[in-house]
Amino acid sequence: MEAIEHPPLFAIPGVPDHLTYTWLVMVILIVVSAAASRRLQLVPRGLQNFMEIVLEQFLSLLDDVVGHEGRRYLPLIATLGLFILTSNLLGLVPGLMAPTSNINTTAACALIVFFTYHWIGIQKQGLGRYLKHLCGPVWWLAPLMFVVEIFSHLARPLSLALRLFGNMTGGHILLAVIFSLTLGLASWAAAGSLPGVLLGVPGTALLVLFTTGFLLPLKILVAFLQAFIFCMLSMLYIAGAIEEAEHP
Amino acid sequence: MRLVFVLTVVAVAAVLAGPSAVWAAEAGASGGWVGPFAVIAAGIGMAIASGLCALGQGRATASAVDAMARQPGAAGRIQTAMIIGLALIESLALYVFVIAAILLFVQPVK
Repeated sequence: MEAIEHPPLFAIPGVPDHLTYTWLVMVILIVVSAAASRRLQLVPRGLQNFMEIVLEQFLSLLDDVVGHEGRRYLPLIATLGLFILTSNLLGLVPGLMAPTSNINTTAACALIVFFTYHWIGIQKQGLGRYLKHLCGPVWWLAPLMFVVEIFSHLARPLSLALRLFGNMTGGHILLAVIFSLTLGLASWAAAGSLPGVLLGVPGTALLVLFTTGFLLPLKILVAFLQAFIFCMLSMLYIAGAIEEAEHP
Repeated sequence: MRLVFVLTVVAVAAVLAGPSAVWAAEAGASGGWVGPFAVIAAGIGMAIASGLCALGQGRATASAVDAMARQPGAAGRIQTAMIIGLALIESLALYVFVIAAILLFVQPVK
């Protein structure tokens, strides 16, 4: 699905829009990280301080959810979280587009998480034990449990991808509908008839107030919340794959 | 709360897209009768999904707030668990939203 509210401000011909803006997010993240880590100081100031605070949040989350082994997975989780958060916030800038409102981007992130946590599980406990764990505790239930577990594992990347995509796209459709409503009311007011002016002017003001005062803060909250939930669920899946090794 | 907005959006979109779908079906001689029903199904399905999802999320939030009031010390952990639970509940409604969007915009069956 292409951009809903408006076509994005700049587009490279021949390149899909979500890919262009994925590159933009990558450039933003690389420049910010390079600027923050250019002159590392023992007592951080400015941008370095900010980035350290952000990464410490990820570290404390990893310690809480995954446990003492969690810090190994900081690169994966923090990269996913920062990428998704920046993409979500990029969609709020007029004229730009959120890469996460295209299902290809979210599906790519979800597939990375899917293959990674299986790889971690197989690495930690070996292929045989990992498959045995899928079969459940009782041997005569194994054929049933194996199928059920396979489907439950396949549903994880699907729900990860669709949750992020649905939230972002839903927000964009909502904004598009409100914008067209505001435009319609404003043009009714501009047409000059008496009921048009009497109803259209306060209606337009009300809609603009509603959008700026309520919808956009809500969308900022959703952008942070969805990035948090994506990271949280990835951590939970990794924790599940590791924990089975410790408590067989 | 968000899903109520999504519901409103899809309802408005259904109202906007309904007549055009009917016109399209009438204009094209090969157009089937499925298109208008797909629009109706998208609206009603989203309504049912978001209504039931709101019920579930309301129950979950009520229990979480109750637990947080009883044990303020564990509020952080309860809140994290609540947010994960809400995300998992919401994803079920989002499946329906994606299907509704496919019915409205992609229109696999005309």
